Amino acid sequence: MAVVDQRPTAARCPVTSGFRPFDHDGTYEFFSMARREAPVFYNEETDYWVVTKREDVLSVFKDPERFSASNVLDSLEGYPEELTRFLTDNGFTVEPVQSNTDRPRHTRIRQSAGQFLNPRRYREYEPRIRALVREYVNGLRGKDEADIVAELTHEMPARVVFMLLGVDDVDPLMIKRWALNRATMIWGKPTRQEMIDAGHELNDFFHFCKEIVEDRKWAPRDDYPSKLLELRGGDDSVLTENEIVCLVFALLLAGHEAVTNGLTISILTLLENRGTWEELVADPALIPRAIEEVLRHSTPVMTWRRRALEDVELSGVTIPAGGKVLLSLASANHDEGQYERPSDFDIHRPDARGHLSFGYGIHVCMGAPLARIEMKIVLEELINAFPGMELVKGQRPAWTKTMAHRGPQSLLVRLGGSDHG
Amino acid sequence: MAEVTWITAGGERITAEVGDGVNLMEAAVANRVPGIVGECGGGMMCATCHVYVESDHRTGEPGPIEADLLDFADAPRRDGSRLSCQISARPELDGITVEVPPAW
Repeated sequence: MAVVDQRPTAARCPVTSGFRPFDHDGTYEFFSMARREAPVFYNEETDYWVVTKREDVLSVFKDPERFSASNVLDSLEGYPEELTRFLTDNGFTVEPVQSNTDRPRHTRIRQSAGQFLNPRRYREYEPRIRALVREYVNGLRGKDEADIVAELTHEMPARVVFMLLGVDDVDPLMIKRWALNRATMIWGKPTRQEMIDAGHELNDFFHFCKEIVEDRKWAPRDDYPSKLLELRGGDDSVLTENEIVCLVFALLLAGHEAVTNGLTISILTLLENRGTWEELVADPALIPRAIEEVLRHSTPVMTWRRRALEDVELSGVTIPAGGKVLLSLASANHDEGQYERPSDFDIHRPDARGHLSFGYGIHVCMGAPLARIEMKIVLEELINAFPGMELVKGQRPAWTKTMAHRGPQSLLVRLGGSDHG
Repeated sequence: MAEVTWITAGGERITAEVGDGVNLMEAAVANRVPGIVGECGGGMMCATCHVYVESDHRTGEPGPIEADLLDFADAPRRDGSRLSCQISARPELDGITVEVPPAW
């Protein structure tokens, strides 16, 4: 039993030396060992205390008094000073509004955002999302083979975010590029120059959000920024204008990187488990179950972060005050203490939905119901149109290499001849 | 303290003593009641702790935010629908029975 409670020891521990936070190959095998041998360990490369057991991850999520969310979107690498100066000089006034704020500020802002970002609103978008997905699915018809990322899952979720923002005249690929840049700045290992270039684009992105909010001040529509402005009613104690811009900025980032990966991974996992795919073809009512099991089994957002505000003991290890904490959601979702045969993909397990893929507690993902709607519609439409779809054999797609997001960058499928559409 | 019984979608009865002030979502999760997830931890964001309270009205009516969420919970809203995170155990609830809708 290699319990690790001091940094120098931790650095030599075989568990920590096997941790490769940016490379997701073999990650589940690694965490299975970690949960057994050192469920909480310190990783020197990233300066994070890594938490691997479901109970511990859950207890951190449930304890916002002792674990601050302030570092959730911090750049792992830190910005070069030149970039910080550029951003300051160019009116880049991004401030924490949701995932990376603590109470009471978090409560105030989340309550306003929740007036729009809620299951009721999301359901209203369902017919439009279905029409959008059908557009993409129709584009696939008649083809033998397709890259499902390039032709569906990459772009589609960005266009759903546009619906919420009331934006209809922007190239979704531009938003995707901005979002990927932002994700790399936060969770990746860019070079100095890549960081500076990405930062310049990020500034463009922020000003794009500012323009949307400015426009809605004068011409309100039935969309998220207009709703936030209405709630604000000119009162800074409800929301400031800058906070609204930041909420729009946050939505544009949160709304699709994880959804793109969730969609692609669902299709990949289901096609790899042909029996399950066939089951869904026969009974599409099982799709919501399948989605929860995909989210548990092949978690698209692998890790999330917190910072300890005081010394806290977890699984016999003391995380010191100020310690940065990396919660492995992927590991928690495979914890043998909760799930029997966790590495089996089984849509009939009774407790898949207890996964922590959207977090838990006061910061639980506000977009989770929307992500579930998108996943459900995409799977329904694909299964209906291409029940004979299968993976192109022998492909080894590249996977995104950031510490949080994980997903194949391409996915070649044979669409199959039997078109029900 | 109140004795609470959950009737799961599969017809199983799970009974537990729940301490005063503990909400019925937390108690259900602690007792591994299938169908109760409570992923927002009682923040009224998810409606994954939806239950049907048996016909008496000891638990009162849902508040406005709760009512909105119930309209769009996975299982249909009906008389007695509540988010169990909004019901705290107290002596007058002793013996209460709540039905858990199917999880999917």
